[in-house]
Parts: sequence; structure tokens; C-alpha cells
Amino acid sequence: MKRLINLFTSIKLAIGLIILLALASILGTLIPQGRTAEEYAAFYGQLAGLFGALQLTRLYHSIWYMGLLLLFAVNIIVCTLERLGPKLRRALRPRLESEPKSLLALKLNARAKRSSSAAEAAAEVRKLLEGARYRVRQSAAGPHIHLLGRKKVWGLFGSDMVHLGLLVILAGGIFSGAASIRADLALAEGETKSAPKADFGVRLDKFSTEYYPDGSVKAWKSDLTVLDGGQTALSRTVAVNHPLTYKGYSFYQTGYGYNWDNPGVEVWAKRKSDPAYLRKLKLKVGERAVLADPDKTTLAVTKFLPDFVLGDDNEPVSRSNQPQNPAALVEGYRGEAKIFSGWIFANFPDFAQMHAAAAKDQDKAGDLTFELKSFDAGQYSILEAAKDPGAPLIWLGCGLLMGGLALAFYWPTWEIKTAIDEAQDKAEIIIGGLASKSREAFAREFEILASALRKPK
Amino acid sequence: MNESAIFVLTFILYIVAAFFYLAFLFTRKESRAQAGAVVAVIGLAAHTAALVVRTIESGHAPFTNMYESISFLSWAFVLAFLLIDRKFKIPKIGPYLLLIVIGLMALASSPLMPKEATPLVPALQSYWLWLHVSVTLLGEAFFAVAFIACLMYLATSEPAKKEQMDNVSYRSVAVGFPLFTLGGLVFGMVWAYRAWGTYWSWDPKEVWSLITWFVFALYLHTRIVLGWKGKRSAIIVILGFLAALFTYFGVSYLLKGLHSYA
Repeated sequence: MKRLINLFTSIKLAIGLIILLALASILGTLIPQGRTAEEYAAFYGQLAGLFGALQLTRLYHSIWYMGLLLLFAVNIIVCTLERLGPKLRRALRPRLESEPKSLLALKLNARAKRSSSAAEAAAEVRKLLEGARYRVRQSAAGPHIHLLGRKKVWGLFGSDMVHLGLLVILAGGIFSGAASIRADLALAEGETKSAPKADFGVRLDKFSTEYYPDGSVKAWKSDLTVLDGGQTALSRTVAVNHPLTYKGYSFYQTGYGYNWDNPGVEVWAKRKSDPAYLRKLKLKVGERAVLADPDKTTLAVTKFLPDFVLGDDNEPVSRSNQPQNPAALVEGYRGEAKIFSGWIFANFPDFAQMHAAAAKDQDKAGDLTFELKSFDAGQYSILEAAKDPGAPLIWLGCGLLMGGLALAFYWPTWEIKTAIDEAQDKAEIIIGGLASKSREAFAREFEILASALRKPK
Repeated sequence: MNESAIFVLTFILYIVAAFFYLAFLFTRKESRAQAGAVVAVIGLAAHTAALVVRTIESGHAPFTNMYESISFLSWAFVLAFLLIDRKFKIPKIGPYLLLIVIGLMALASSPLMPKEATPLVPALQSYWLWLHVSVTLLGEAFFAVAFIACLMYLATSEPAKKEQMDNVSYRSVAVGFPLFTLGGLVFGMVWAYRAWGTYWSWDPKEVWSLITWFVFALYLHTRIVLGWKGKRSAIIVILGFLAALFTYFGVSYLLKGLHSYA
């Protein structure tokens, strides 16, 4: 047990763990994380199996990385506790006595003589130190008097506060991992969905996309209403960087999607034989419109694909839900008889070609041309609903971390120890100074105090 | 004057300052170093003006693409150097730091870097952009000063100069480490929580910031607890700065992740 404690109090373990954590973290940025097994097999071949077994493909969540973090936490706890006791004693019940010899061995020291009693000399030193804002403690009066003047004693605990902060952050991370609730909510306008594992829901009242003049997206905005127990609890506009928070849940704007179930399209019909002919038709998929050409042809839009590609069996399919290659299938009818059909493409207006249903319709199909001018589909908003009870711990830990760093670097503890001896109605004062940090500034201050003491009174 | 004209003026001023510092290095005349510092301060003022004009023209923080962010990083380098120089009188670092700054600014002006101010994507529209990026880069600038001090520590054989460079590198890290922790890690987590709903995603940029943080934590522990000084300390600082540099450049160009904005 003792040996185990010794292992965990050793700074060498801490250093080893920091190095291991750094190396492991680097490895995790060299191997892409969280891809599919197929992707790893394609990229790494034989190695993929090994990576999987060593959990290198989800390294930061692997047992061994967690184990390293846990060891690191134990190391921090043991080291901090071991040092905390002596530090607290030093801060609260410091030893006031110090040997004159040991004071003279300090880098910063000074001595002075007074033709007065030790008590009077002590009063003088106390006044001098207090004037320079040192908190002074004094040992019992007598021929040997010891004074201890100190400044910024809490600076001693800076590193402990940093370590506590790190532990709180780690605890927050574990708590988040174990207890956070997350779900993506895809909401169409007017739709209500309940928050995951909660007794309230959110309704999307309006979703809008704002654009910059150059066409890039400026903002996605979702007007949300929180419905709790049949009541409207809260209404707010959610945008990226502006989540809504209710009962510990936050709703983040994370994306959007298109509802391609029933899009509207605008098709322009032209005739090669009649340059003056132009018909602009707005219709929904499945609807028909009269072309009003001499033959009274009607046009139907029977299919719409946002991202047209030819699939495995040469059948048109949509590769994604994004309108990257919007295409519509149009069909021409005379009465109920189909006379031609063909795909038209918003991005490739010249690519369209109508195929006649029968040889006699060849001329008709060749004469008419169609362009897919625009389309519009309902957009839905994708929100992430998250409840992360670990987050407050993270912020607390960050506060401790920063406070601790400020203390450790910029709140240095300065100590001036004094020993006064009295012999034959003369007092000899010996002072020595110690600083944990900012030694140059302390040396300057010490020199000012020492020269004040050396001046004969 | 528009932003690019002030940028060119700044560039010229830094070159002039570098010449004065180089002259100091070879002649050992204090007056050269002082002239270098004065020109560097004027250059920094011009650079500040360029960044302000850029902010007004683009309507957003001046570090949202590589050109802007390198310009801001160079500004932070010069600022960090002048502050440390004011306190510790280290003009010998001047020429090397300014050469790095000149190199960075030349890189920023190269045709490969798009200079147009593009409108901000929704994720970047937050005041946390200011806090996160500016504080992080300022922290990295102090790491840069420490880095040069460590290189000079390794290059010199004069004990007095070694002592000074060791001290300067520690004091620069003592400023840079809290700033980097605050800007890079703490502000980064707060912003990620607001924008993405999760404060930590193990994104490559996040991981590399953590690695950088580990390296400097290693430096502080070996130095304060084990009493390492000098050569071994200097090597750790150099590694730490290289990690910071990789976090800044390497991750953006070599590794993909959530941070791919530039």
C-alpha cells in the first residue's frame, strides 16, 4: 500500500502520464476517428482489424485512454493531498522561529544593530514590515524574538487550485458522458415534437434562411415555442450561436433539410417552330397544366429528384437530399394518351431531350423544349436538443483552473523572517527573505527594507 | 488609405526595424536597438490601424480567414515581443522575431492566400470569435518569444546570456500559458457549448490545443518540481511552440474537422 502511494505521489509518474496522454492524443489525430468499418478496411487494409482491436478508431473513448485519464486523476489527487497538509500548516500555523545562521544562509539577508531592547527592535521591524503590507506574526517576547512577515500567502495554493480545477473538469466530463441526453429534432413548420426524455415539447412556428448579397448563408432562424402541459411556456428565435434553454434542455440550430414530398416547380415551355411561343407553368408534382399549343397538349410533372443520378440499374435516383442536381420528369399528353416524356435539369437546361412515346409523335417531341426554371420545397429545421448536467461542473472547473493559474503565476508568496537577539542592552536584527516567484521584484523590495534597517537610528 | 496600403506600410516598417536590430546585433550599439524598438512600435501602431480598418470594412473580427489570422498573429508576435522587451531588455531577440513576422506577413500577402473579406458563416457570428481567437493567438505569441529565447539559449555559450534567455523564456511562458489556457481551452469550450451544444468534441484542433497544453504543463512541472533548467527546459519549450504552430497551421491544412473555416 505504501509503495502504491509512493508510486502515485511521484512526479515521475505525472510526467510519464502527461507524455503518454500527449502521444496517444497525437495518434488519435493521425487516424481518422469514428468512421465506418468499411472505410477503415479500404484505407488501412490488414491493419484495420488491429486498429479495431486496440480501439484506435475511437481512441478518445477507448478503455485504455480513459484508463490513462483515470490514472492521471488519481495521480493528481494523491500528489495534491500529500502536499496540501504541510502547505496548510505553513499557511495557517507557520513556524515563527528561525535560526540566525539559517537566515544568513539565504540569498537575501541583512543584519542591523540597535542600542535598544529586543522588544523595541521588534516593534521597529514590525512597523517597517507592516508599512510594506506584510502580515506579521511574532513569537513570545523575551531576549530572543522572532518575527514572520508574509504577503499573498494564498499564492501557495495556486497549483492545488489548478489541480482541483482539472479534477472537476474530468468529473464534469464523466458526468456528461454518463448522464447527458441528446437528440436531433427535425421539425417542419407547424410541427411539434417532444424533447427527449422530457415532459414538454417544442413547436417550430417558422423557419427561415437569410442570405448575404453574394448568395452565401447568413443565418438560419427557427421560431420556437416551448409547450409545457398544454401551455405556451416560452417563445424564442433560435439561431446558430443563440440556443434556447428551458428546464435544463438547450435547443441548438444545427442544420436544415428539404421536404421533397410535394415540391412545386416552375417549367418554361418553348417551341422550336415558333420562337414567339413561351409558356411559364407553375405546378406541383403530380399536377397537369395545359400547354395551349395548337394541339392542346397537356404537361404533367410526374417526378422530382433533388440530386439526380443514374442508379445501379440505370434508374434515376436521388443521391442526397440536397438540391445539387435538381431534375424533374415531365410528360406530355394528348387527351389521356402519353405522347412524350423526358427529364429536365435545372443546372443543365440544354441537356433535356423529350422521347416520343410512338413514332408518330416524333415531331411533337422534337418541337417542344422544357426548362426547369425553379423549384421550391418546404424546408425543415434540424435542432439538437441536449441536456448536459456535466456542463456546470466544467465551468466551475475552468474557473478554478484560471483562478489557480492566476494565483500560481501572479500571486507570489513573499516571506521575510526575522530573528532578534539581545545582549548587553544591544539588539541584533537578522532578516532573511524567501519568494516562491517573482524573485527579482522581491529582491528589489527586500533591498529597500534592508537599507531602511541598516540606517542607524 | 485602405487596409492593404497600411499593411504594406507596416511590412516596410517591420523590415526597417529588423535592419536596426540586425545592425545592433553586429555593432553592439545600444542606439541601434533603441531605434529598432521605436520603428517596431510605429510598425505595430500602423498594423493596429490596418486591423481596425479591416474590421470596419469587413464588419467582423479581423481573423476569419488565413490572411487575416496570419496578420493578427504577426501583430500579436510584435506586441508580445515589445512587452517582454520592455520588462526584460532583450533586444537580441528582436531581429529573429521580426524575421519570423516578416516571413509570416510575406506568406499572408502571397497570391495563394485569398484576401477578400468574406461574410461570416453563421457559426462564426459570435462575440466569442473575438475572445477565443484573440486571446489564444496572444498566448501563442508569448510562446513564440519563449521559443526564440530558447533557440538563443541553445545557440549561445555565454553564461550570462544563457541565464537571461532561460529566465526570459520562463517569464514568457508564464504569460503565454494562462492566456493560451483561457483563450484556447476555456473560451473555446464555452463557445463550442453555445454554438454546437457540446463543449468538447475531440476535434483535431481541440486535441492539438490539448497536446500543446500538455507540453507546456510538462515544462512547468519539470522546471518547478524537478528543478530542470537550461537545455532540457529549452527543448520542451521548442516542442511546445512547434505543437502550437501545428495546432494553428497544420491542423487547418492537414487534418479535417469542425474547425475548418479558413
